[in-house]
Amino acid sequence: MRKAWPAVLAGVLVVAGCSSPAWNDRDYELKAASSAEAVGSTVEVVRLAVGGDGRLTRPYLKVLLTNAAEQVQGVNDQFGGVQPPTERAEQLGEQLLKVTEQAEKVVSGLLMEVRRDRVKDPSGAVRELAQLGESLRRFQDDHE
Amino acid sequence: MKKFLGITLGILTAIGGFVDIGDLVANALVGSRFGMSLAWVVLLGVVGICVFAEMSGRIAAVSGRAVFDLVRERLGPRAGLANLGASFFILVMTVAAEIGGAALALELATGLNYLLCVPAVAFAAWLVMWRVRFETLERVFGLAGLALVIFVVALWQLGPDWGQLWHQASHPAPPQDEGVPTYLYYAIALLGGAMTPYEVFFFSSGGVEEKWTRRDLSVSRANVLIGFPLGGLLSLAIAACAATVLLPAHVQVDSLDQMVLPVALGAGQVGLGLVILGVFAATFGATLEVALSSGYSLSQYFGWQWGKFVRPREAARFHATILVVMVVATALILTTIDPIMVTEYSLVFSAAALPLTYLPVLMIANDRDYMQDKVNGIFSNTLGTIFMILLVAVSIAAIPLMLATKAGQ
Repeated sequence: MRKAWPAVLAGVLVVAGCSSPAWNDRDYELKAASSAEAVGSTVEVVRLAVGGDGRLTRPYLKVLLTNAAEQVQGVNDQFGGVQPPTERAEQLGEQLLKVTEQAEKVVSGLLMEVRRDRVKDPSGAVRELAQLGESLRRFQDDHE
Repeated sequence: MKKFLGITLGILTAIGGFVDIGDLVANALVGSRFGMSLAWVVLLGVVGICVFAEMSGRIAAVSGRAVFDLVRERLGPRAGLANLGASFFILVMTVAAEIGGAALALELATGLNYLLCVPAVAFAAWLVMWRVRFETLERVFGLAGLALVIFVVALWQLGPDWGQLWHQASHPAPPQDEGVPTYLYYAIALLGGAMTPYEVFFFSSGGVEEKWTRRDLSVSRANVLIGFPLGGLLSLAIAACAATVLLPAHVQVDSLDQMVLPVALGAGQVGLGLVILGVFAATFGATLEVALSSGYSLSQYFGWQWGKFVRPREAARFHATILVVMVVATALILTTIDPIMVTEYSLVFSAAALPLTYLPVLMIANDRDYMQDKVNGIFSNTLGTIFMILLVAVSIAAIPLMLATKAGQ
């Protein structure tokens, strides 16, 4: 058993490095609200930038969307790594990830369009981003 | 024209102090989270830095020596070492962040990843410090940094609700969804940014570089009274742009690209070009300011020949210090550490170290052996003492508040 403890410790550290714990439902809920806030902030930045598409240079828009895509992906990865303590928390997590993963898809899609040329349908993208932003804000308000 | 060029030292110092990479993002972040409710801190910071920069400029003009040069002589090696130790680590961190900031500005202009620009920025900065005359350096980067005035133009173009901005500014309290500790944490970070110690090192050493004498006291005061309030105005304009565009959209600024977005929306592509130029000039200028300050402070403490007014061969250890600082800072930023996060922390650590920098300035400005008839008057001493009390309180609260609020989260 004594020989096994370094391996157990290493295993614990690896698992701890992969996912952060949530102590209870409330803790998980707060983490979810904070993630919704972070993604919501990024979605709103992208909405403002895409809405002002004609006023921005392409290199600038590309950098802004690249950073936004990385941020949303980072939050999704981090929140996705949090283990829900109960089934109820799991449902809450799925509800949030559905919206944030959609946000990631939309922002990545816009980045792709800008890398190729420019945003094809700015007003459509602004509408979609506004809806996502609204959903995220509502989620944050409900669970903060 | 000559008189105008005479104040470029103050403009460069203030732009490097008030709108370096950390301040640029901190001001926008504060505007997007707290509106203009922390504007009073910027005004307080402007008054504070004017009081102490005026003293250090006067010290340089009357004694012909920079502040740090006198600290060890007047207060002894231990006090000098405490001052040096508190500031040097922060200086190296700040150089790293400023190099990263200039590279981030290039990324916004070209779309090229900022890490690819870091070595070029660092090399160019070192070359400028090695080859370019001090007056040329301060004029080029001080004046180019004035492109940041586009924030004022963009604010006008955005057509904000001036009454709302004034209401926020005149009601200094955190918004409903923000806690008092977070509000105070950002107040300390803004004050730390406005009164960054390297501003005093650079300003007084710059005065010696420019060979100020008693006859230049009016030039020194003009530098202080025009340069620093201008830096404060730019800070307020950045916060106001963010309060107008980003606060209503619930955006919390955390990167340079987000910080310049209101200018692009208000002033279009020309505005975007100017703001990127201004950010580059401010951060590149701050790189020079902080790297030179590291050379000044170390050389002045150890009594080495320093300055750009002598040939590099005659100030070899001064230039070697700058070179080492540049290499270490470049290596640090190439580890992919976030430059903005680095300055945000360095602002708070600066705030914690403020009394160590400003107490010696106040003491030397009162010493007749150095200042003769130009010692502080009642007005300077009253203000200086009030600020010293404030700075001690700030230095005590800075680190606990940073820990309690998880650095303002």
